[in-house]
Amino acid sequence: MEHAAVLHAVESGSKIQDLAWMILVAPLVMAVGTTLFVPRDRTLAAVFNIGGVILSFCLSFVLFCVFGGGSAQCTPFEWLPIAGLDVHIGLHIDPLASLMLLVVTGVASLVMIYSIGYMHDDRSYPRFFASLSLFVFSMLGIVLADNFVMLFIFWELVGISSYLLIGFWYDRPAAADASKKAFLTNRIGDFGFMLGILMVWSALGTVDFAVAKAKLAENPALLGSMAGIAGLLIFMGAMGKSAQFPLHVWLPDAMEGPTPVSALIHAATMVAAGIYMLCRVFFLYTAAPGWPGPLSMLGDLSAATLISLVGAVTALLAALIAVQQNDIKRILAFSTLSQLGLMVMAVGLGAKAANPSAAMFHLVTHAFFKAMLFLGAGSVIHACHHEQDIWKMGGLKAKMPITFWTFLIGTAALAGLPPFSGFYSKDEIFALALETNPILFGVGVLVSVLTTFYMSRLVLVAFFGAARSESADHAHESPGSMKWPLVVLAIPSLMVAWLPLGPFLSESFDPAHPVHLGDIFFGPFNHNPIAAFFGFGAALFGFSLAYSLYWKAAKDPLPTQLGLLSKVMRNRFYFDEIYETIFISLHNLFSHIADWIDRWVISGLMVRGVSGLVNLSGRALRLVQTGNIQSYTFFFTVGVLLVVLLARK
Amino acid sequence: MNYSLIIVEITAVLIGLGVLMTDLWISPAARKGLGYAAAVAVGCLLAFATGSLAPQHGLGFRDSFVVDDLARFFKAFFLFGAIVVILMTVEFSSRIASGLSEFFALVIFALVGMLFAASANDLVLLFVSLELITVTFYILTSFQRNRLASLEAGVKYLILGAVASAFMVFGIALIFGSANSTNFRVIAAHQTELATSPVFLLGLLLVLAGLGFKIAAFPFQAWAPDVYQGSPAPATAFLAVGSKAAGFVLLIRLLTQAVPQITAEWSRLLVVMSAATIIYGSLCAIPQRNLKRLMGYSSIANAGYLLLGIVAMSRSGSTAILFYLGGYFFTVLAAFTAMSALAEHIETDEIAGLAGLGRRSPFLAATLTLSLVSLAGIPPMVGFFGKVLLLRSVFESAPGRPDLYLLLGIAVIGVVISLYYYFGVIRSIYWGGSTPNLAPIRTSLGTKVALGTCIAGMVFLGIAPNGYLRIAETAIGGIDSAAGRLKSPALKKVSAHEAH
Repeated sequence: MEHAAVLHAVESGSKIQDLAWMILVAPLVMAVGTTLFVPRDRTLAAVFNIGGVILSFCLSFVLFCVFGGGSAQCTPFEWLPIAGLDVHIGLHIDPLASLMLLVVTGVASLVMIYSIGYMHDDRSYPRFFASLSLFVFSMLGIVLADNFVMLFIFWELVGISSYLLIGFWYDRPAAADASKKAFLTNRIGDFGFMLGILMVWSALGTVDFAVAKAKLAENPALLGSMAGIAGLLIFMGAMGKSAQFPLHVWLPDAMEGPTPVSALIHAATMVAAGIYMLCRVFFLYTAAPGWPGPLSMLGDLSAATLISLVGAVTALLAALIAVQQNDIKRILAFSTLSQLGLMVMAVGLGAKAANPSAAMFHLVTHAFFKAMLFLGAGSVIHACHHEQDIWKMGGLKAKMPITFWTFLIGTAALAGLPPFSGFYSKDEIFALALETNPILFGVGVLVSVLTTFYMSRLVLVAFFGAARSESADHAHESPGSMKWPLVVLAIPSLMVAWLPLGPFLSESFDPAHPVHLGDIFFGPFNHNPIAAFFGFGAALFGFSLAYSLYWKAAKDPLPTQLGLLSKVMRNRFYFDEIYETIFISLHNLFSHIADWIDRWVISGLMVRGVSGLVNLSGRALRLVQTGNIQSYTFFFTVGVLLVVLLARK
Repeated sequence: MNYSLIIVEITAVLIGLGVLMTDLWISPAARKGLGYAAAVAVGCLLAFATGSLAPQHGLGFRDSFVVDDLARFFKAFFLFGAIVVILMTVEFSSRIASGLSEFFALVIFALVGMLFAASANDLVLLFVSLELITVTFYILTSFQRNRLASLEAGVKYLILGAVASAFMVFGIALIFGSANSTNFRVIAAHQTELATSPVFLLGLLLVLAGLGFKIAAFPFQAWAPDVYQGSPAPATAFLAVGSKAAGFVLLIRLLTQAVPQITAEWSRLLVVMSAATIIYGSLCAIPQRNLKRLMGYSSIANAGYLLLGIVAMSRSGSTAILFYLGGYFFTVLAAFTAMSALAEHIETDEIAGLAGLGRRSPFLAATLTLSLVSLAGIPPMVGFFGKVLLLRSVFESAPGRPDLYLLLGIAVIGVVISLYYYFGVIRSIYWGGSTPNLAPIRTSLGTKVALGTCIAGMVFLGIAPNGYLRIAETAIGGIDSAAGRLKSPALKKVSAHEAH
């Protein structure tokens, strides 16, 4: 009934897609309203912000139903009409965006409900909700943006909200440092991103996605020798946000933020923004490859191929590191890194097939099960009195049944066991890799073995066996507001891949190349049996390896077996230390020079000089204002004379 | 005599008298209710004045009274302002010892003066309506008779106002002596000959001085800080919004409609006045510690920005003035309403007294902050857009005029300086020193509605300025066609009169 009514509204000419404005603005209104007007009312803050995001979710659902696989453009308004650079604020809805809207608002709603319980004792409760709403607003802006400039603005807003949320407990030095690290690392990526946008703009003369796409479709060589560089620079933005090697170092540290933040931002949505953005500007990567003179040895190697290599390296590296981590959130963080690497790899590989929907498909399934895993980890941490070391847990299966079962579903999905959603989306990637680049297919399978291995290790150590500490012994199931979001998230973690998402998404890219998906359950085995069996086998192999090592283990046997390698893995291949010595000391040198200039030349001479002068003249002028009526009258008369004098020619 | 032309003014007078009469029969406790009733009555009048039943165009009373788009724009502006000021007074009533109803009535009488000023097409009506405004304000500023500062403000305003009026009436006499008429249209028709008459020019300059006093432009600004500081907050708000706007509607009529040629020759004078007003207001605001006094200097600086629109001498300049006044209206009323609501809880007007407000009343703190942010001209608040329009109008007229570029530079410097003192206030609201009293401040529903409207106005006009901008453009378009191009029937009558 409702559906029909909505359709009717479309036919009668009223622009239903303008609802998207409301989807976008509702969280912002709540964030600003909470900060300004109810900064201390805990209940109102929670109700407003959760209500705002749920409203966005419902509206997203309406749009999803109305537009289905079609696309629509919201009435844009001009924002920056300068000759040659026409930037408007407009929203674009297509299958890609409407699916992403649902994922972002859906996961955000559940995470915010979960936070009612998780953040209950925090004194800055309203600030937390307001920051989450701000994040949702920024993220929705990225999803709906229809041009590069708007995308970049919201990109930066997402960076800000991530900074605010990682450093939410700003009185903890580790959190404050982590937020700075995340922000600065992202700045490096964003700098490249901005250069890339400028390059695309100078080559194509537009920042609008649709126009740029049409221009490139007309003439694929339009980017000329800049195609490769521009593509890589734009990819730098994704490298920062989606934490790809070598800019991956910030994501594990970002786990210093509250766990719901890790679930929403650093697992499900924000880190996926890079993948989403690559899919949004995918038309750049299908253009003819080209390099400027000095890089001509790269020849036919396209930017997309390099991107897929970066993704593969990230995926493998992160999976190796995850094997030797002991902090439950860090394991999940490295697993996120590794899965993001797989997605980036899939985007790069998708360029040959002119369709990155495998990456988007994995993004969607990953968003659900990874958010659930993080929330489950939060539930465990909450129950164990903020203990995060898995070797101090154990035996939680009986004490926290709901958390355990949902965590198990998430693990199965992440490991890629059929019929859980992760299996289907990973299979898409494997099939794609097998068709285009067999070496990367091998890397993917290896990553899959490692993934199952470290996740099984986590589950076996934390949930089975005997409790290894006091706090694990006294653990009990979390309150309802934390339990139910887990249960709700378990449903899409299991089933979302059963929907025909691939064909749905491919509407956004190229209707002529439908993706083979949709035959439920055994589809993957039919259309590319080798990929499917490898995926399935990898999961089984990884699990049996973990089972043999960790079933009822009291401590990790790997460090003794692997020796030095284990230490290197545990220390994350020393990336932080390497960056520290090279970049930070170089940076310190520069900053000392800059500091001297700022302190003495800019601040001392220019700022203080000017402000002192202004201040002094203000104080001097004030003397005129004596309050004496006689002198005022005198000034008035002098003023009249002055005016007459000035008016003379 | 076509009395239907002044039906809005007549009704306003009747409302004022009605308030005075009703006061005789009601108990003192019911006086707040009387304020609400008066606000409702003015609200009805506003609805009528903006509707299609009110006179739309016309000229009457020996051509001294004109109704056109500009007049109707400002009438709506003044009526709306009066409503908010009356509501503000109700909130402020605990600080007014006696005569609350008289305060309402006086606000309405000042409103009548402004309504006449909006339609003035003759120097005599200009003078009389200005006097009606000013005389009412003498009483309003000194209304808190038990406060020395308020009495002092009243006396200062009275004496300086009298001086300004003396110059002005002398000027009008000189103009009449040389032009044989005080009517704007007649003067407009003969301005080429009159431009050579020194007596006429001197008279015009003296009138300009009088109007400069009303808008608090340099060098006639001396009264503003003292009067703003001493007066009761609602009177200050009405002074800042109503009186200043009345000055500007008369400036627009006189300078751009009656004597555009002479004004063009005086551009050096106007540029200097505008620049000096901006610089003086901005610089003097820096060391201030009293919020109302700060607002007085801010009002001077804003008069300078508004003068930019006159300097531009273009239609877009006048439109920008109207737009800026609309934004200024919401901003200043929000600030003063918040200050009135605070008056009961915070004894002092000092900026330091605002410390802890962010915790005591997040709503009032946010309102004050938003209005200061808007005054400082930061997007997306309306103050930003208004300043952009004013600066753009000058920029459009600037090619070939280096002095205008200089003026633009000075205006931008003024904006930068203003950031400093406005944000000083915001700093003390949220990060002020320790305060012993942290009791929450409750605000009444009426205040919340008034403040909510003002905030909505500030934000809405900043984000979606087009609708209001079009209204302002229409209002200015009206005077262009009325400037003697003989387009509407009403104007044919003018030429007949001139022939006679």
